[in-house]
Amino acid sequence: MSVESPETLHALRRSVAALTVGVPGDSRLVSFGVDSLDQALAGGLACAALHEIGPAVPLQSGAATGFTMALIARTLRERGQAVWIQPDFTVTEAGALYGPGLDLMGLSTERLVILRVPRPRDALWAMEEALKCRAVSVVVAEFSREEADLTATRRLALAARAGGGLGLILHPNVYGSRLRSQPFCRHPSTAMTRWEVASACGARDRFGGLGPPTFVLSLVKNRRGRAGQWRLSWDHHERAFTTSLSLPVAPATRDGSYRKALLRDEPPRTQRRIRAG
Amino acid sequence: MDDAAQSLGLRPGMPLADARAMYPTLAIAESDEEADRHLINAVADWCDRYTPLVGLAAPDGLMLDITGCAHLFGGEAAMWRDILVRLADQGLHARAAIADTVGCAFAVARFGDTFLVPPGSARHALAPLPMAALRLAPEIVEALAGLGLKRIDDIIDLPRAPLAARFGEILVRRLDQALGREDEPITPRLPVPSYVAEQSFPDPIGRERDVLGTIARLAARLEAAMERRQDGARFLQAALFRTDNKVYRIEVGTGAPVRNAALIARLFADRLAVIGEACDPGFGFDIVRLTVLVTEHSDPMQRGLGQKGGMRDEFLQDGFGCLDDEVAFSHLIDRLGARFGPRRITRLVEQDTHIPEFAVTALPAHSARTPPLTHNHRIWLGASSPSPRLPSGRLRPSLTGYGEGRGEGAFPQALTRGEAPSPAPTLPSPACREGKGGGDLSPQSGRGEKQDSLSPTRPVRLFGWPEPVEVIAEVPDGPPARFRWRHVLHEVAAAEGPERIAMEWWHDTDGQKLTRDYFRVESREGLRAWLYREGLYDDATPAPRWFLHGLFG
Repeated sequence: MSVESPETLHALRRSVAALTVGVPGDSRLVSFGVDSLDQALAGGLACAALHEIGPAVPLQSGAATGFTMALIARTLRERGQAVWIQPDFTVTEAGALYGPGLDLMGLSTERLVILRVPRPRDALWAMEEALKCRAVSVVVAEFSREEADLTATRRLALAARAGGGLGLILHPNVYGSRLRSQPFCRHPSTAMTRWEVASACGARDRFGGLGPPTFVLSLVKNRRGRAGQWRLSWDHHERAFTTSLSLPVAPATRDGSYRKALLRDEPPRTQRRIRAG
Repeated sequence: MDDAAQSLGLRPGMPLADARAMYPTLAIAESDEEADRHLINAVADWCDRYTPLVGLAAPDGLMLDITGCAHLFGGEAAMWRDILVRLADQGLHARAAIADTVGCAFAVARFGDTFLVPPGSARHALAPLPMAALRLAPEIVEALAGLGLKRIDDIIDLPRAPLAARFGEILVRRLDQALGREDEPITPRLPVPSYVAEQSFPDPIGRERDVLGTIARLAARLEAAMERRQDGARFLQAALFRTDNKVYRIEVGTGAPVRNAALIARLFADRLAVIGEACDPGFGFDIVRLTVLVTEHSDPMQRGLGQKGGMRDEFLQDGFGCLDDEVAFSHLIDRLGARFGPRRITRLVEQDTHIPEFAVTALPAHSARTPPLTHNHRIWLGASSPSPRLPSGRLRPSLTGYGEGRGEGAFPQALTRGEAPSPAPTLPSPACREGKGGGDLSPQSGRGEKQDSLSPTRPVRLFGWPEPVEVIAEVPDGPPARFRWRHVLHEVAAAEGPERIAMEWWHDTDGQKLTRDYFRVESREGLRAWLYREGLYDDATPAPRWFLHGLFG
């Protein structure tokens, strides 16, 4: 059967989408502002659907959290509220959300409501309720892969579809080495996309200090396009992702020259140079 | 002291030795004050069925204000009988009296024999009673008895001034209170509700569905009442009176005034779902009462003018968000709060301190400021426009922007967008050049220009208990070269710091808290962590310990 026109194809896609859970027809898309990534996602991260995020390396829950915050900040750009659901266990295990850090990622604490639940099961219930509420733009819940089974994610996807918000499941401290033997992408769930996040090393600013948060994003599952890997920096002022070039890792300095890496002496000189030029 | 003992002639207050001498086979039990208090509280709870104004007359009495309640039970005599019969059914022997004043009822219930004092005859009822009936200290009673004044009758007409001069003002005051010359309010145990609706059942109900249905019906009655006075409920309580003397109270708070019966019923349904087993119906509930304990003025609101109505668009343009969405969001918070407890659903609010773990606190989402749902640019803290829905007089936490010079060290102004015309770049502050005292990226230098160079200086996740790490670092104040966290060794590829944070000496009375030097480090794998050394290398702490406090994004 040949496809006659893009419109026909589009109509067919929509009718298929209407039958399938988790693939809403025309929902809002949250664009990354990075062409290759947006193309892979067919325009951007789809709202009214569920997405999974986890750290690529066990201890790097900070990177996954930072990426999630960046996504929320981008989604809430114009309006809306976000709800972040944390079971008590993940708070002790991976740390609590920290307000000043939140702000420094471009996500105002005023736009975020945090719910602490005693058990992971409660997080499922709360997430479903929050997703159904159309006043909530983003719902994040942290729970492990065991909790987010097919039934649970199916319910959540339906709720997200009803409410129109962006549903994010953040696996606080998962895969790691076991991931390699048992591919994460085979873990059944109805999520639209699944991301593994690691922080890229060697991101430096122009003075040689620690650079902006930089993530190595692996899109390991994508129901609307291809998978792939990207290295993006997050600019919290503009709330924008930028592609960052791989820079050589600065050598670890143990001879006291670290002081030079700090910016105490550098800015005036650099600025003078800029002015001269 | 039970009936049998009383019939033998034993009296409360009698020395134990005397009683044993009279009856050597006497069975004795220790008095358990805790259990007594528990029982009297339980009975007081149960007495709520007669009137909302129940006061405790410690240690063994209750005071009920039945003004305007007696006719509901068929008059004072019927009510009195009902109370005694029901208490007797529960195995409690009680004496009760109904009188005009608290003092008179107390006296007659304990010392009298006519328990229903008709209105206006307090004096007549009190006259034959002993002096102790006036709630006086034993010394005063004894002193009066020494003068031959044993019954209230004896002092009721005596000149007041000499009495007060000799026995203290308390005597005259108690007499006046008993006779109704002086007002004596009952202090109710529980807050007095603004609105009450209740339903009693001849046949007790036990199923959850029935209870919720009843609450919904009661809520509908309250809705009408609140509508008339333009009130909305902020705190509601459902009291379930079990047939066997047990009362369950289920409480629900809301963020915005609520009148809608369906919403109220749903909140209670969520709450009951959590309480579940703890609320055992036993043989059923015979009274269900719904009360509004806290109200707030709430103007009648017109809602739902369509998705693309003129009013809604105006609101969007004004940046106030859509009213419908705000209501929906507020209700979601109410429901989550009803299920998990209002303290579990929070907003982060910045505090005016530089100690990292206290720099932000989680306030219940409803007491924290509710921002407008729409915003077009960063609004920072106190300077922003007030929310249209901020309830007046509510707790407003002190908000301090990071941009406005903190007490200690340098906090980057990365938060505030350079809206002012960009000033010329300035030199880093001297403190930064010295390498101490918050010597990382100078925040002042970046203001107004494109700040591509700043990495966040605060982590996204903070551990409630900083985790001890083994660190190899240059003495005295070098950054870590490698550290071991959770059994994994990390080689540090880059570090920034130290950012020195001294503890608040004005709070620290015993001088036990140590100054911390914070470092932001990046490991070779890319892990960015916030490490600190507790204490400086000096005499006080020869070997300071290291901790991992948070993780960066």
